[in-house]
Amino acid sequence: MFRRSWRHAAAAAAVLLALGSVTACGDDSSDSEDLSENRAGAMENYAVGTQFKATEPLSFSVLYNNHPNYPLKEDWLFWTELQSRTNVSLEKVSVPLSDYNQKRSLLIGAGDAPLLIPKTYPPDVHAYVSSGAILPVSDYLDLMPNLKDKIEKWNLKPEIDTLRQQDGKFYLLPGLHEKPWHEYSLAVRTDILEELNLEVPKTWDDVYTMLKAMKAAHPDVYPFSDRFSQPNPAGNLLNMLAVSHGLAGAGWNFQHVTWNAQAQQFEYTAATEHYRHMLEYLNKLVAEKLLDPESFTQTDDLARQKLANGKSFVISSNAQTLVNDYRPDLAATNPKAKITKIPLPVGPAGEINPASRLENGMMISSKARESKNFVAMMQFVDWLWYSDEGQEFAKWGVEGTTFVRDAAGKPTLAPDVDMIGLNPGAPKHLQKDFGFGNGVFSYGGKPELVQGFFSPEEQEFQQVMNARAPKSPPPPYPLSDEEREQVSLWETPLKDHVYQATLQFILGQRDFAQWDAYVAELKSKSMDAYLETVNGAYKRFQENN
Amino acid sequence: MVTVDATERPTGSAPRPRRRGIQETRGYRVFQVVNGIILTLVVVVTLYPFVNIVARSLSDEAYIIAGQVNLVPRGFTLDTYQFLMSDPLFWTNYRNTVFYTVTATVISIVMTTCYAYVLSKKQLKGRSALVGIAVFTMFFTGGLIPNYVLVTSLGLKNSVWAIALPNAINVFNLLVMKAFFESLPTELEEAAAVDGLNTYGILLRIVLPLSKAIVATMVLFYAVAFWNSWFAAFLYMDRQELWPVTVYLRNLIAGATGAENVGSITEANEVQAEATLKAVTIVLTTLPILLVYPFVQRYFVRGIMLGAVKG
Repeated sequence: MFRRSWRHAAAAAAVLLALGSVTACGDDSSDSEDLSENRAGAMENYAVGTQFKATEPLSFSVLYNNHPNYPLKEDWLFWTELQSRTNVSLEKVSVPLSDYNQKRSLLIGAGDAPLLIPKTYPPDVHAYVSSGAILPVSDYLDLMPNLKDKIEKWNLKPEIDTLRQQDGKFYLLPGLHEKPWHEYSLAVRTDILEELNLEVPKTWDDVYTMLKAMKAAHPDVYPFSDRFSQPNPAGNLLNMLAVSHGLAGAGWNFQHVTWNAQAQQFEYTAATEHYRHMLEYLNKLVAEKLLDPESFTQTDDLARQKLANGKSFVISSNAQTLVNDYRPDLAATNPKAKITKIPLPVGPAGEINPASRLENGMMISSKARESKNFVAMMQFVDWLWYSDEGQEFAKWGVEGTTFVRDAAGKPTLAPDVDMIGLNPGAPKHLQKDFGFGNGVFSYGGKPELVQGFFSPEEQEFQQVMNARAPKSPPPPYPLSDEEREQVSLWETPLKDHVYQATLQFILGQRDFAQWDAYVAELKSKSMDAYLETVNGAYKRFQENN
Repeated sequence: MVTVDATERPTGSAPRPRRRGIQETRGYRVFQVVNGIILTLVVVVTLYPFVNIVARSLSDEAYIIAGQVNLVPRGFTLDTYQFLMSDPLFWTNYRNTVFYTVTATVISIVMTTCYAYVLSKKQLKGRSALVGIAVFTMFFTGGLIPNYVLVTSLGLKNSVWAIALPNAINVFNLLVMKAFFESLPTELEEAAAVDGLNTYGILLRIVLPLSKAIVATMVLFYAVAFWNSWFAAFLYMDRQELWPVTVYLRNLIAGATGAENVGSITEANEVQAEATLKAVTIVLTTLPILLVYPFVQRYFVRGIMLGAVKG
């Protein structure tokens, strides 16, 4: 029985699809215009700057992603304060973070989903659209003044357009950032840089020069040994290089297509000259023994061990791995070592910030549309997730209790409240004891808000990154259900072949003279048909919208 | 392992007495030594990972990352144990696991025994159909969502029944048990019937007392399965205070390793050193079931053999 449960798990996606097509037939779309029956509890004059408060006590169900670092507590100040401010209480369906997506699919498929379904990433939405179980929220933006205001003020329309489905609507209320927020880069042993009299590298060519100098001084080490290679090789390294080359993404952010603004069409990312160029770069690093060939296969733990034991000096990093992994590791093995995260090296695409300004957001169950409290619910969502006041409340809590303001009005934690070690030894914790700064309710916003808890070091990194031009999002190319199915059949063989050839080229098992042969192989795996579908969908969307 | 029987050791210079039974040829002694060496190796190979895990669970994270922990803990620390055990939710969930395991195992044993005993009766009409129904579920399943809808609409969600009832009968266990019951001599039951026992009396007073071995084996099978299971609880339990400890620990590890942390810089001293955490998790979840093994082990081998001889 238990063994079969595992098989159930594997089959979940397939079952979902099947069920999706069944429920689609039973979907009767309600008239999106007439909301007169759905205004119970809603505010008459709700607008930007208004504190939302339901005119009667309301309760909405929400799928709750239960984070083990701050397990759900019913007595959190967040719930009581939320209720007194908005007259709304939330019924939580608590799901362990470890398997949140699976339970979400199950509940939506079984028609048992709560009304609010947060923590959903944009690509995850596709699977649910055709089932009709998810509300096309774009029809109801008029109920959400704060959201509309932010989209307009922060020029987020091109980003929002990428969420649109074939019907021109979108089904996800995304997290919005005023500024892109890029996290990943390389961590470099700065004591080695000092020892060798080297500058912090600015471009990928500088990185090469730096590695070369490191190798000259320490011939017995591979100066660069990378992590994040599970399940796919060099997830972060390949992606950093790809975006620095102006491509949509590679590695763990594998993107089949990249928008070519000059040609006004999509190209196959892994068949572009840029992609070839970045593989040649990596091949050079491997050939000159600057980059550990095991970087593409080893586990994170092994890469950490090499760094800790002085067998490498450079590794992929984000803010947490730097503070939580590398520094403690090195402190134990080599107290003199210093390591820091350098700004993302610049490539041929110039100084860009490749991060997206959208992040995970919320789906709303289409059942909600039938509720007499529908309008009130949308206003509530708009206030808590998109108003400045709501965002500050969700992140910082209650002024005077969990945070205080300095003279400039900037919030800082109250002295007896801790969060990520900002007030070490404080008796209470913002997340654990009060329920604020909770990933379910708090994300996105202005840079001041997003970076509220960042270390000075990370704020500096963000400052450098934010000085760079944000990357413009590609135009939308929403696929129909049939197209999506067809495309997904092409995707796996294409992706497998790209990964395989990528490694062969990098590790020198395949000569770059065979590049054309490689592109021909991609063509034999339906690359052209893939591009035709995507470009067709792009043109169709341009014509219809 | 090679064991030498003290009573058979030759005393003084007296000629070695000839053993009765199998003659201990030279070849046999060589075999014994080789056998002992091989089995010792097997023991080492199976025991090593476990000792290593225990050592890791007691070691400082830095030594694990440096790859220096082998059989002996380095930088001895109980921090991770303390962290885990100071969380009241851990104990709530642990109690749940014990409760779910005991309840579900009892139900499973009763149901499996009843079904298997009925199926072992050759004279039963429609017996092959009943076997067919059971075996059918080994190969075909309703799927995840229909199962979920069924359990939910029966109102079993958020209760122990959601875990115990849908998994009450494991078909493999059922067939093993059926084979065991078939191997019992029918004459015994006929004699009992002649002496005036009804069907239930025969089952309870004749068959079951003779089936301790198989029942013990089944208890072990079911208990281990329920103890380790997390999926059913994950599906049907919507409140964290109802989770078993497996879900709790699974979530904890995901929180320590997962990309969900992105953006929140967790304090270095608080971040649960993931390598240690995994080790502690394994120790804490396997320990109780490990302690049960020695007590049922003697039934275990006999039980599964008895069932297996006759298919």
